[in-house]
Amino acid sequence: MQFFGGSEISPAPSAPTGSGNNAHMMYIFNRNGVCLLYREWNRPLRTLNAQQDHKLMFGLLFSLKSFTAKMDPTSVEKGNLGVPQLPGQGCSFHSFRTNTYKLSFMESPSGIKIILVTHPKTGDLQEPLKYVYNLYVEYVVKNPLYVPGTPIRCDLFNTALDQYARSLA
Amino acid sequence: MGKREVVESCMDNLMIEMVSAYCNQFYATKPELAARRIEAIGYHVGHQLSERYTMEHPRFSDHLEAIKFICKDFWSELFKKQIDNLKTNHRGTFVLQDNRFRWLTRMSISPTNTDLSQDSSITTIENKALQATSMYLYFPCGIIRGALSNLGIACAVSADMSNHPACSFVVRVKA
Repeated sequence: MQFFGGSEISPAPSAPTGSGNNAHMMYIFNRNGVCLLYREWNRPLRTLNAQQDHKLMFGLLFSLKSFTAKMDPTSVEKGNLGVPQLPGQGCSFHSFRTNTYKLSFMESPSGIKIILVTHPKTGDLQEPLKYVYNLYVEYVVKNPLYVPGTPIRCDLFNTALDQYARSLA
Repeated sequence: MGKREVVESCMDNLMIEMVSAYCNQFYATKPELAARRIEAIGYHVGHQLSERYTMEHPRFSDHLEAIKFICKDFWSELFKKQIDNLKTNHRGTFVLQDNRFRWLTRMSISPTNTDLSQDSSITTIENKALQATSMYLYFPCGIIRGALSNLGIACAVSADMSNHPACSFVVRVKA
């Protein structure tokens, strides 16, 4: 009886072939929950419509962050459960993994949350997420035509992001 | 290395905010006046910068020498690179082309940036996008005009951004 690893019902997905389709999708939210960017490169299954999907994702991350900060065994001072924490205060969760995907998360001090969903065997993605944040600063924040707080529609950012996502191992 | 990044980021953001403030707040209904104010600010900046960068330089023998100074030394001080292409008709008109103008490299002129609720024919969207981006060219035009006027050359400067990110500045010397 195979309990761990793949079974007939839910086989483990094949390892990334290195042909550049490791990244499944990416979300970028701002501090207020506005979904600034949603990009998908490889998503065979969609269960909700776009609005619900984004709300669910943001709500999940908000709760997970609160929960991880509250359950932190090393820090002395903790706020009440559910009180939003300042970015950078307390601990922040990095990723979770299921048998079919891995979700990595990074929050900047300005409240920009970057989420990347990849193949489960992907390594730690904090550095790539920081790189994506740099791309965001360069091509979105410094774009004179972009209005902060609105969805991102900058071609330069999209192409740079696609190129980088394809190169992720 | 980090200091340079801070300085450049401050400069980039100041530029964006200047255009935004003049176009959307101070002269919201009169874009031509906003353009003139921005160009005037550039004029003063160029005037003072050329004073600083020509301190040890001998006097320029003719207009072409002064323009070449703008293309090489002045532009490298400001943007860490020289003008890529200089054309002239030898009758007072010069075209300075920068193939990758630093202040505009991050601008994506995608038509979806502008407001699509009004009539959405492609030409009007592109026109609006072009108008928005042309506002950002008045400041460098003013800089060039101010620098040249400090060297004794009265001129008019306009800019053309039709092949982004290359940008050309047309200098017409007043006889």
